[in-house]
Amino acid sequence: MAYFFVIIIVMTQKELIFKIRELRQIKPREDWVSLTKSQILGEESRNQSVASIFQLFFSLKPSYIGLAIVFIFFGAFGFAQSSLPGDLLYPVKKIVERSQAVFVSEKGKPQASIELANKRLEELTKIAETNQVKKIAPALEEYQASVAQVTKNLAKVTATTSDPLVIRELAESTQKLEKNKEKLEQTYGIAGLEIKEGSNPMKVLVEWLINDLEKRTLTEEQSLLFETAKKDYEAGDRFNESLEKLLFLSSPQE
Amino acid sequence: MTSLRLGLLNMANYRKEFSKIYDRYINKIYRFIFLKVNSQEIAQDLTSETFLKGWEAFEKSQNPGHNNQKVENPSAFLYQIARNLVIDHYREKGKAQLVSVEYTPIIDPKQDLEEKSLLESDIGQVRLALNDLKEDYQNVIIWHYLDDLPIREVAKMLDRTEEATRVLLHRALKSLKNEINRPQIS
Repeated sequence: MAYFFVIIIVMTQKELIFKIRELRQIKPREDWVSLTKSQILGEESRNQSVASIFQLFFSLKPSYIGLAIVFIFFGAFGFAQSSLPGDLLYPVKKIVERSQAVFVSEKGKPQASIELANKRLEELTKIAETNQVKKIAPALEEYQASVAQVTKNLAKVTATTSDPLVIRELAESTQKLEKNKEKLEQTYGIAGLEIKEGSNPMKVLVEWLINDLEKRTLTEEQSLLFETAKKDYEAGDRFNESLEKLLFLSSPQE
Repeated sequence: MTSLRLGLLNMANYRKEFSKIYDRYINKIYRFIFLKVNSQEIAQDLTSETFLKGWEAFEKSQNPGHNNQKVENPSAFLYQIARNLVIDHYREKGKAQLVSVEYTPIIDPKQDLEEKSLLESDIGQVRLALNDLKEDYQNVIIWHYLDDLPIREVAKMLDRTEEATRVLLHRALKSLKNEINRPQIS
């Protein structure tokens, strides 16, 4: 059996206005308020700082302007280090990196270029974390170019060295680079990190290791593993798997 | 002073000025929209759109190159944008007829329980009644009693005389009172 209750509420005008005013308790979340503000006026802080710099610069006496230019010049180098592809100061960062590369020996160049490729991945991570969509395309281009440079440098070393230890070290660094790339792909779902077949650094290393192992005497078990590694290499998209096996085979056996 | 420097300084000043407008009106505009749409998520979307459109218009109005009118009264300007966005929202979704206040959650479930119970108990009752009023009645009550706008300003925003606005306010209160005092069956 259903019961119905009739509720009659009688309210005076004063009480009503008081209750209306209680609706002032409705407020947006504070974090949302500040986030929305930064989204709408996102350029505020940057433009304000640029304007302040201009204001300061023009208010200086001519004799200090030269000094200010020197400070600005070095300041730009400093700021450029944290810039990302697509930023105004990014070309400065690239110039600094190139000039540093001049002082690296031929032997050290592959390792240095792997470090730079890792830097490009770090930039992509920053871009993905801060959702700067417009910068993804230039950052991917930078990454692809850096990997192509790694391959070029590895090709030079593999053509001249006969030291398996050097190749092992480079292979391990290259594998770390690959892992970082995979992590970025999985975490942020960034597409376009695939390395073009011709510029895959692992391919160069795999080829060197295959040539080296073909000259050695292998046990039956090792030969089987070697054949699998070669098949992975021939497949054209399993260089990482091939490299793992070849590194195992080339490592000093007890 | 070079035109580049002047331009940069002006831009920084506009942003600073609009930043103050944002801080001053964000709560009011959010509340105004929230009371009409009954959803935290939609209120947030429409509020941010209101301020984005407001900022774009404000920026243009400061630029002498554009033949735009200067924003003289930011409050009226933002409320007008908010009103249009709420109308568009209901028009687009056809929600004006479909959504009944009784079936709409009083507040977003994400809000904490304390706030929820508060709204559902006392002021929630006023909110439900307010939601059943026609748009002009809602606006006049919100602007005068919640936002403390003087009758003169409310009249301007409604494009009515002050006397007509007082009459409207009187009728709106009466209507709200009737809604609240209407016997409820539970």
